[in-house]
Amino acid sequence: MKRFLVALVSVLVGAGVVAGVAFFASSTSGEPPLLVAEPAGTVDTPEGPVNAANLELYVYPNSSDAVPGPTEGVNALYASQGWPFYWPSTTLQVPANSLVTVTIYQYDSGGKVFNPFWAKVHGTVDGTMTVNGKTVTEVDPTKVAHTFTVHQYPESGQPYLFVSVPLPDLGANAVGNADPYVDTPKEVTFTFRTGAPGTYVWNCEFPCGDQYQEFGGPMQQRGWMSGTLEVV
Amino acid sequence: MSTATIHQVEVPQPKQHGKPGGIMRHLNFLTGLIGGVVLALVFGFLMSLQFPAGALTPTFANAASGPVFWAMMVGWVVGFMGGMGAFVGPIRWLLGRDLTHEDAEFMAGKDQGKFRYWRFTTDHKVVGIQYLIVAMIILGFGGLLAMLIRTELGATWTEVFNPDFYNSLVGTHGIAMVIAMIVIVSGPVGNFVVPLMCGARDMAFPRLNALSIWLLVCAVPPLILSLMVGGIRDGWSVYQPLNAQAGPGMIGYQTTIIVFAVSTALASVNIMTTVLTMRAKGMTWSRTPILIYGAFAAAAMGLYAFPFYMYSQILSMTDRLINTSFFDPIEGGSVWLYENLFWLLGHPEVYVILIPSMAVMMELIPVFMRKPLFSYYMAIAGIVGVVGLSGLVWAHHMYMTGWAPQANYPFMLSTEMISIPVGFLVLVVIGTMWRGTFWSRLPMMAVFAVIFNKMIGGVTGVYLSDVPADQYFHGNMFVTAHFHYMLMGAGLFGAMGAIAYYFPKMTGRYLDERTGSIGFWTAFAGFQITFMSMFVAGLQGQPRRVLQFDNMFNISNWISTIGAYIIGIGMLIFLAAIMSSWRSGQAAPSNPWHAQTLDWQTQTPVPLENFPVLPVVTKLPYDYGVPDPLDPKKLEEKYDEKVGAPS
Amino acid sequence: MADTMIPAEEPEAPTNRPPAMHRLREWLSRRYVRHILIITVVVGFVLLPLCWLMLAAMNQSGGPASSIMQDIQQTIFVFTLVSIPITSFVFAVLLYSLFGWKGKSGDAPPNNDNPAIRTNAVAVITWTATSSLLAGFLVVWGLVELADITADSYGSTSATGQPKTEDALIVNVTGQQWVWTFEYPQYDKVATDVLYLPKDRPVLFNVTSVDVIHNFWAVELGIKIDANPGAITQTGVTPNKEGTFNVRCAELCGLHHAYMETKIEVLPDQAFTTLMRENGGGQTR
Repeated sequence: MKRFLVALVSVLVGAGVVAGVAFFASSTSGEPPLLVAEPAGTVDTPEGPVNAANLELYVYPNSSDAVPGPTEGVNALYASQGWPFYWPSTTLQVPANSLVTVTIYQYDSGGKVFNPFWAKVHGTVDGTMTVNGKTVTEVDPTKVAHTFTVHQYPESGQPYLFVSVPLPDLGANAVGNADPYVDTPKEVTFTFRTGAPGTYVWNCEFPCGDQYQEFGGPMQQRGWMSGTLEVV
Repeated sequence: MSTATIHQVEVPQPKQHGKPGGIMRHLNFLTGLIGGVVLALVFGFLMSLQFPAGALTPTFANAASGPVFWAMMVGWVVGFMGGMGAFVGPIRWLLGRDLTHEDAEFMAGKDQGKFRYWRFTTDHKVVGIQYLIVAMIILGFGGLLAMLIRTELGATWTEVFNPDFYNSLVGTHGIAMVIAMIVIVSGPVGNFVVPLMCGARDMAFPRLNALSIWLLVCAVPPLILSLMVGGIRDGWSVYQPLNAQAGPGMIGYQTTIIVFAVSTALASVNIMTTVLTMRAKGMTWSRTPILIYGAFAAAAMGLYAFPFYMYSQILSMTDRLINTSFFDPIEGGSVWLYENLFWLLGHPEVYVILIPSMAVMMELIPVFMRKPLFSYYMAIAGIVGVVGLSGLVWAHHMYMTGWAPQANYPFMLSTEMISIPVGFLVLVVIGTMWRGTFWSRLPMMAVFAVIFNKMIGGVTGVYLSDVPADQYFHGNMFVTAHFHYMLMGAGLFGAMGAIAYYFPKMTGRYLDERTGSIGFWTAFAGFQITFMSMFVAGLQGQPRRVLQFDNMFNISNWISTIGAYIIGIGMLIFLAAIMSSWRSGQAAPSNPWHAQTLDWQTQTPVPLENFPVLPVVTKLPYDYGVPDPLDPKKLEEKYDEKVGAPS
Repeated sequence: MADTMIPAEEPEAPTNRPPAMHRLREWLSRRYVRHILIITVVVGFVLLPLCWLMLAAMNQSGGPASSIMQDIQQTIFVFTLVSIPITSFVFAVLLYSLFGWKGKSGDAPPNNDNPAIRTNAVAVITWTATSSLLAGFLVVWGLVELADITADSYGSTSATGQPKTEDALIVNVTGQQWVWTFEYPQYDKVATDVLYLPKDRPVLFNVTSVDVIHNFWAVELGIKIDANPGAITQTGVTPNKEGTFNVRCAELCGLHHAYMETKIEVLPDQAFTTLMRENGGGQTR
């Protein structure tokens, strides 16, 4: 009887430890808070009226007192002040079967992208985006700051969505930290079409991180240069 | 007429200064911890002074974090080992105040009761039990991570953890389990049992023995600490150049491996020297129990393989900290260099895990079948064959890398050939079972589990050794299921059998059969469910190390997760059996299994110097079932004076 | 004298050792041997469906789409078939021991009245010969198969060679954290994120990576090769089935390794050319 009790206690304590660690880890390694696209009425298209939504994002080169950087999903112990990040959040939600218009205010400097594929616009409505009002289909591959790339997800039950938009850099600044208070960011706008509900991921495809090939650090952390896109 | 004259020579002894043990009386695990933490903080602080506050590298990494973390690791290792008293012996020798006989006895744990387990104790029996406890702790940590991994994979509708934490879980689980499995049989059995079985009083290098266990203990905190500073997100093999993208926590991994490699090298040298030079009089190679062959083989493989692992991590460390470019293709390095260095360790290492487990199984089957070991020479041939071939097969892990495609042909040949000596070991086991009468106690039941798992692991290994089939299976859950069948199915369940077998000698009590069996078979059932289902997931095409996957893999992952929870329950029950039996189990006589090997011819608890008179061996100790002069009954009476409380 | 030069015939030494066939028949007549052999056969038949079940699991996502994948499946089928006898025998011995040779479980060991067999030359030789022949067969099959696949597809080579046939399609595969991109140099360097392939035309893949090691795995086509930074590795295949298949990354490459998947669309040749043209690539050579 005594042995049975010891065994039972061991199992319960063990299960408790596992559950406790799981909850703790899950809550501290979660995603940044949700950013929902704002509904913007309907738009007339040749197929009929389609819902529209707007999303606004900012890309900052580093944290500062004015823009302190992401607060959740963050491993503060080894994060660096010098990491660029998307603000206010990287956990995005957009409505299904809609035309989603994203506006990104880009405050960072850049350089040459590794693969010229990323200097082109892919997956938007008629393959274009606007930069400060001008409509373009690609950007100079040596002057890219970041990209916003929504890409493959291993779920065959949801529609295929691939959107990639290069964000041009602030040409005037030298390589290094751009002053986050500069008044004239590059404003990039593009629209893409969502289908049935699904979950996708997105990340930046320009080497703007640290360590090897500058794809470490913020590139590999949710909350900075990568996140999720939920279509609901 | 000749007479022999015995000369009494006065051998000058070192002078005894103060109490036996000197400063060692005050040094223990606590002082080690304090020393390690203090020195880590000091070194970290000193290193941080080299960098102005907030300094960044050209790629926006925190310039100080890597070097500071490295300095902390160095401080931890030096401080912990100093605080444990590892340097006392060499320093005293340098000062001309060498250890006296009383000092040596103190360090061997004489008259210290339970405290000797917390000190730098040289007695091989103490070290063996320390290895067992440390291995079980690391195994528990790895098991906790496994439960978290399976929870993530089972919750297919959401992401419980975010992807980089999941990758950290996978990597840390891998390395923790690999370390735990390497030491869980070689540690307790190699240290506690091998000298007893050889008929020796201790190992060849007792102080190195203490050093190797405390180096292992020293290696564990950097691993745990690294989880908080970026973690090990690149699998346990931390391939370059992905390795170079991780945060400073990778330095913790590299420190763990370097220290662990030194620890195993010392342990290997110790075991090999003990077996080569300290076997009892009359124990020729034809009279040496198979367990000793297994321990020796594992030690030999570890000795030549672990340095490769150490080099790969040292070079990764310099790549990271001082801008060497061994593995950076842009600067002229090669990623394939890392893969080769790693797998040169990686393959022998799995045999380091497997051979001791198989050797213990082969050792205990004759005892429990009451029959001699079938074809002792085939067993030796099998072990030697495995050791010989183990160094020639590493690139079968690299079939798909494009490194040297023509090399795929000879490596396929050598890898398939290695199934033959492994087959010899299975033959020996089956042959010993054939027409025996088995004593159905827990250690024997473990043999059935081990051989069953080994066959499945071995056959699936044959698929993987075939390059065309590997073209589908590489990087796929099929591989994960295969190696879990070998390392956990044959390795861990064998270790549990070994623990059940040697429990009475180590603790003086029987491991409770009922609780132990329930735990063992629950874990076994859970194991089959988890990993059979994982084979299915692999066949369907699920890649490794992914936390999100297509819906068609959902069912196999749900089943695997349920199986994993069952394994967890089973292991916890087995742990409960160990803990409660250790404290209050049924008392066991000194030779409860009526075995004939020398290790069972000692008292329990085994006295400090093992044997009052060093034994002389006249035959192979597998004469079970033959008309036996050493009648079990007589054995019981003769050696069973002190059946009492363990120390 | 002459007699002693011719060696005399030695008379047959009397022996009671039965001839080999009798010994074999006697062995087979022992109860436990018969039981073990019966259990072997039963277990063998239970395991036999595995050969087909394994293939069924592999075909779940669309079935073999190339001759390479069919070869791989055939190899797996044959290996399973060939491993079943020895596995069944070992399992049968284990099973029989559990029930047939079980002693008691008390505090004292049971008495073993059976002979203390130390070794048996026939068993050892039979086992060694069988396992060696088996391993040899598997090796030869594997080597032949590998040569076959290499001839079909360049195997997994690391050279930048030329395509073997005139009509081969060349695709440059770039793995980058965490997206696969494909470029068609013969079609004005059209670049896509989905892999489009024409049916029944051999394809040569030049695979590389711009950052860490990835692994290009075209699942249903049965090809797999690492994408290494600083090197180009090659593989090739001829798709023989239309449909939608999967590319997965099979080497851990960081945060979004799990999401590094894309589709393969195998189209009829004409549809493929039209698609390339629509994307801006007239066929150039």
